[in-house]
Amino acid sequence: MTLQECYDKMGGDYADVSARLRSEKLVQRFAFKFLDDKSYEMFCAMMAEKNYEEAFRAAHTIKGVCQNLSFVRLLKTSSKMSDALRNGWTPEADALMGQMEADYQATVAAIREYKTECER
Amino acid sequence: MSSQNETTMSDVGSLYMASMNERISKHFSTMIDMRLDQMAALTETMPFKSGEDSAELREWLTYNAQIRGFGSLSYLYDDGSYEMIYGEQVKLVEPDLFMRSMNNGVRNVCMGISSDGTQFAVIGVPFFIQTAQQNKTCIALVGKMTLEYISDTLSLEAEGGLTYSFVLRKDGTFVIHSADAYRHNYFDRVREQYDSVEGMSKEQYIAVLQEAMRNGESYSAMFRMFGDRYQLYCSKMPVSEWYLLTVMPYGSLNEKVEAMGARSLCLAIGSCAIILLALVIVFFIYFKMNQTQMKELKEAKQAAEEASRSKSEFLSNMSHDIRTPMNAIVGMTTIALANSDNPGRVQDCLKKIVLSSKHLLGLINDVLDMSKIESGKMILNVEMVSLREVMDSIVNIVQPQLRAKQQKFDVFIYDISSENVLCDSVRLNQVLINLLSNAIKFTPEGGAIEISLHETASPKGEGYVRMLLKVKDSGIGMSKEFQEHIFDSFVREDSKRVQKTEGTGLGMAITKYIVDAMGGEIRVESTQNVGTEFFVTLDLERPTDYETEEMILPDFTMLVVDDDQQLCESTVDSLKSIGVRAEWTLDGMSAVKMVEQHHQKHNDYHVILLDWKLPGMDGLETARLLRKELGNEVPILLLSAYDCSEIEEEARAAGITGFLSKPLFRSTLYYGLKPYVDTVSKATEAETKTAAFSGTHVLLAEDNELNAEIAQELLTDEGMTLDWAENGQICIEKFEQSPVGYYDAILMDIRMPVKNGYEATETIRGMERADANLPIIAMTADAFSEDVQRCIAHGMNAHVAKPIDVKEVSRILSRCLEKSGKKA
Repeated sequence: MTLQECYDKMGGDYADVSARLRSEKLVQRFAFKFLDDKSYEMFCAMMAEKNYEEAFRAAHTIKGVCQNLSFVRLLKTSSKMSDALRNGWTPEADALMGQMEADYQATVAAIREYKTECER
Repeated sequence: MSSQNETTMSDVGSLYMASMNERISKHFSTMIDMRLDQMAALTETMPFKSGEDSAELREWLTYNAQIRGFGSLSYLYDDGSYEMIYGEQVKLVEPDLFMRSMNNGVRNVCMGISSDGTQFAVIGVPFFIQTAQQNKTCIALVGKMTLEYISDTLSLEAEGGLTYSFVLRKDGTFVIHSADAYRHNYFDRVREQYDSVEGMSKEQYIAVLQEAMRNGESYSAMFRMFGDRYQLYCSKMPVSEWYLLTVMPYGSLNEKVEAMGARSLCLAIGSCAIILLALVIVFFIYFKMNQTQMKELKEAKQAAEEASRSKSEFLSNMSHDIRTPMNAIVGMTTIALANSDNPGRVQDCLKKIVLSSKHLLGLINDVLDMSKIESGKMILNVEMVSLREVMDSIVNIVQPQLRAKQQKFDVFIYDISSENVLCDSVRLNQVLINLLSNAIKFTPEGGAIEISLHETASPKGEGYVRMLLKVKDSGIGMSKEFQEHIFDSFVREDSKRVQKTEGTGLGMAITKYIVDAMGGEIRVESTQNVGTEFFVTLDLERPTDYETEEMILPDFTMLVVDDDQQLCESTVDSLKSIGVRAEWTLDGMSAVKMVEQHHQKHNDYHVILLDWKLPGMDGLETARLLRKELGNEVPILLLSAYDCSEIEEEARAAGITGFLSKPLFRSTLYYGLKPYVDTVSKATEAETKTAAFSGTHVLLAEDNELNAEIAQELLTDEGMTLDWAENGQICIEKFEQSPVGYYDAILMDIRMPVKNGYEATETIRGMERADANLPIIAMTADAFSEDVQRCIAHGMNAHVAKPIDVKEVSRILSRCLEKSGKKA
């Protein structure tokens, strides 16, 4: 599995990210790093605590990371989520939770799969 | 004169003279009464003991009578004798009558004659006084006055000589007579001068008149004297025994009446004439109006007939035009059906059907458009339009047709300051396509077509630009007569030359209507067999809320080669406005020379723009020569209004780096040249790249480690040294602890825990450090403009949207550093 295929799988834009970060190695490094990023856990925890201000910040951070890495699908969802939480809780935020979870897991799964293949 | 008229005149005459006599009599009576009153006043106001004569009394009477104009004054005694107080004694003509009246105590006036024969009027008022005469009694005071006084007072010859009067006594003697009468007796005068009096003899008349006098009656009669007719009127005068006789010649009355008659006749004729004239004038006006109406009616009828004729002509043309593609469609469908097992044949048929359908659709669209226009339902949909896009799309649309007819084509754009205008793009396209496709249609193979667009100031004001569009062809042209009708509906020049050319004849009418609706003007100039030029002038509004993108290219030196000087100058101007210095030349040879010169000075042009169709040596040949001179590094772009895909291979082989399609708007140049900026700058930057930001210390405030690492990775590549702060608070602390001037800039995320980007910026800006005003650039995932505004409001210098783009960050950073006085 190539990095390009990995991006295709998660719904990302490999051409965009490689143009910006210039080398495949760099993209790979940061993509792996995404697996360690605690923003999503933070987001889920804050939503559970109903601390919507912090949850918004976490969603916003995820959005920022996705922009940098061109994770387009997750970017769209996290962007919607941060909009939904921008001025406190709205019903849309709860509605988006499922989508957010699915997209995040899909992204992480794609990277994991690629990583395992690389390490083999 | 009719007898009725004569009677009327006689009646009028006697009426007039009766009133005249009455007036004179009244006047006489008043005058005599006044004199009598004066005389009576003398007797009543005397200041002496009444009834006694005295010298003083006589003196007083003399004085007072004299100032009242009496010629003499005397006492009259009962025996008829007089005693003079002053003046000369007069002899009374009829002393008996006078005496009788005095004895009766009645005032009277009568005639008297003085010793020299002069006649006087004598008046007497009763007056009783004791005098020295013992045997007789004074019964009256008597005074005389001249007859002239009476005749003057009565003005007997007044009225401009129309009438004359005299005063008579009963026996016919004159008391007062007119100046020309020399006889003393009226009756003698009658006997001598009168011809006849109303059919009576003179004596009869005298007798009748005397009879009337005796009875104190008025008398009126008509007489003839020396052939002329006269009217006379006689009446008794009051107080005296006198008669007033007034004579009026008929001639003067007649004259007056006739003059009056003539005047009224004239008046009647005059008014008749005026009425007649007025009637004639009214009639003429009506006639004229009627005629104009008839004429208008005729014209309207003609216009209607013309319209109906051109519509039916159009219908017959149309049905032919529609039938042709329709026949093709039907025929091709039949052939396709018959050959359904032969895919090649079916495909061919379908292709032809598509072509015919498109053509048919075009015709139907035209007709629908026209009916929309004629029913006034066409509405302009005004929006922001990019002229560059409009022109590009037009050029693309007409290119296949141009190629098919192998026509020369060129596009010129000059002095365009506002590429974006407010207009209905669909309709503008339609106008351009109509004009261009007409030009193509009516220009034979190998002809030339040219479209140009330039801008001038609009008379409508600052907010508008005036676009002048010109479409020129070297086609068959039009006759003068047809030029007048070209913008009418359903009209095509009906000559053999255009019979083969298809069309509805609606294109120009639609074009004209659209241009009119846009408030513009369209004009045509054409000469048969030479060519046609269409001019369209439109005043278009500049968009107000449109912010032009900052179009700035690096400081290049460029060469523009085109055979049109105006295009060269305009292009150089446009390039200047996007930050590029450019030189221009008109042909390939001089271009090669200029490039050689620059090359020798090791000062090559960065980019060369080369027209394809150049006189003498064309673009490709020039490019080959240039490549020999320059090698392969300098980009050479080929300019063309044509579709370059056909010559692309040849061009690339000749050393052309890329293509730039005309028209050359500023944005065309900008976007066309932009891709070469990188290659050019890369070449120049290669050795300086790492040095670009070397030694630049940047503090990065970013809460997410992953993002921070990416930023660090990318920016370190540019030679910067980055320090990472995990949140706003740490950022503040790090900055505080650094030596003054250590950091050149801060890249600040907005959403951070503990302290966000806005707070951190405000704190830093509030510090009392020399470098507290260092550039702070916001980085955020939100690209809303209000966020940008908020960043600026909180004291940040600029804003970069995530994801981090090295080029963008470098550009903004170097701009900020330049501003803050540090060279990047």
